[in-house]
Amino acid sequence: MIRRHLLGLAAAVALPGIALAQQQQPAPPAWAQGRPAEMASSPLAPHAPRLTVTPPDRIPVNSLRVPEGFQVELWAHGLPGARAMTRGPNGTVFVGTRGIGRVYAVRDNGQAREVSTLMSGLDQPSGVAVRDGALFIAAMHRVLRIDNVENNLQNPQPTDLTSAFGQAAEPHHGWKHIAFGPDGRLYIPRGVPCNICEVPEDRFALIESWNPDGSDRRIEARGVRNSVGFDFHPRTGQLWFSNHGRDWAGNNNPSDTLHVSLRRGENHGFPWCAGGFQDPAVEGRLCSEFPPPALILGPHVAPIGTHFYTGTAFPEQYRNALFVALRGSWNRAPLSGFEVIVVREGENGRLVRESFLTGFRDDANQRFSGRPAGLLTMPDGSLLVSDEDNGAIYRVSYRR
Amino acid sequence: MRGAMLPAAALLAAAFSFPAPAQDATRGAAVAEARQCQACHGPQGRSEIPEMPSLAGQQEDFVTMQLILFREGLRRVPAMTEAARGLTDTEAQDLAAYFSSLPSGPKPDRGSPDPALMARGGEVAASRNCNACHLPNFAGRANVPRVNHQREDYLLHTLTEYRDGVRVGADTQMNGLLYGLTDYDLRAVAHFLAHQE
Repeated sequence: MIRRHLLGLAAAVALPGIALAQQQQPAPPAWAQGRPAEMASSPLAPHAPRLTVTPPDRIPVNSLRVPEGFQVELWAHGLPGARAMTRGPNGTVFVGTRGIGRVYAVRDNGQAREVSTLMSGLDQPSGVAVRDGALFIAAMHRVLRIDNVENNLQNPQPTDLTSAFGQAAEPHHGWKHIAFGPDGRLYIPRGVPCNICEVPEDRFALIESWNPDGSDRRIEARGVRNSVGFDFHPRTGQLWFSNHGRDWAGNNNPSDTLHVSLRRGENHGFPWCAGGFQDPAVEGRLCSEFPPPALILGPHVAPIGTHFYTGTAFPEQYRNALFVALRGSWNRAPLSGFEVIVVREGENGRLVRESFLTGFRDDANQRFSGRPAGLLTMPDGSLLVSDEDNGAIYRVSYRR
Repeated sequence: MRGAMLPAAALLAAAFSFPAPAQDATRGAAVAEARQCQACHGPQGRSEIPEMPSLAGQQEDFVTMQLILFREGLRRVPAMTEAARGLTDTEAQDLAAYFSSLPSGPKPDRGSPDPALMARGGEVAASRNCNACHLPNFAGRANVPRVNHQREDYLLHTLTEYRDGVRVGADTQMNGLLYGLTDYDLRAVAHFLAHQE
């Protein structure tokens, strides 16, 4: 740390002209920060979110592929922006979104799914979690709780817990995935307000946890640029989380990553290191100082849902396997991701990765037909996969 | 490992070639008539009212998205909150198809460019990389709006709203981008963009 400060001081003393020029340079938009000069004319930009209903005949379920013995069907549609999913004790599936500002409730009447909008007009309410019959919703810097939610689907009365949870107001990477841990605490990540930058290490690049009432804040992991998917190992209870690497460092750098938190509060590398990539934009610490990721997921693949399969209907090798929904790249040519993968322990405890749900990405034409985002194991052992681009939920089941 | 590979490939090809667009400009013209869009946005989508945007030739995805944001109460403009009330997705998409199909053009009386404002506006636009998303001719693409041919007074109005955090889009890019610009810089950018072809 001292060395970093010294370096920074030396640079400021030796090169006042550059420091001044940088001060006068306007900030590029967050997604373009850190972009090298040679990429300044790149036409890459984040894909437009789709906020309208995709009619069922335009949802690409028939082109999706799963391993032999599995089948995939359209389970629900008409939920623009469908992202993270969680399930109430009486079977309601709650679905968070970003741009359209809604939280949906999906009821299965046995024949079909009934979709209703539970909340609307919220600022990117992507985090949803259920505890003791209450739905917790995390929007940009707000936390809401709807008690006894499944008996109040038509007239939800949220309690505003925002001040108790004290979330930073900076919007960039401020959208959340949330979940309750086996310790009964609510886990909420706090991404970085930039593409690449140095941040106060107890304020950004964190996964934190709280008591459900917002008391007793605790830092679970540091140096996490933007995690929007995590889960707890069904046997060990360990926190496994995915993380998004920075943009504009090239097509193949850095990789997005999967981590396991072995020591509470440990720093996982941001901003200096991501997936073994020593970031040239930030000096001071080396990749060797940080715990290596559990698995390299690939550049720009954008892991969202990160979910242990807890059912028993899938074959033996999928029990407690980790599914990861790769929403797909924008800052890369050609496209990467746009699939659900499964990560399992292979021989010698090494992690093995396989494609599980594919068919969203059209490599020949460099197009995509959907973006997998949220994952949820159902009581019957099927796996739900939300498609944020088509506002749809697919159901993957196994038939021997 | 992957069952049903061959039929899946055929279906994949089908899934990527959508038969016909869901949106319809002719239906959109009728919706525009019924909702009296032209009263403010101009008979051919070219506004004649100060601080009221022209929509002729506007990017289709952008118009759809803004209409949804108005309907959902996420972009708050009183006149549009009323105008977008109860709009269906299809109506929003039809309206977007209609307005994007109208030819854009400069405001007839936009006047001649002011050299000092053009110079400063060009500098600011270059330094904030406006051309990356809005493209070098500033005609926009998909969810990024056309800003050439737009009314200068509207551009200044909306740029000021973005800078001051009054307006947000589906994301926060424009807020971050305009942070810290002076009123004069915004005037210059608005003037510069309004004079792009």
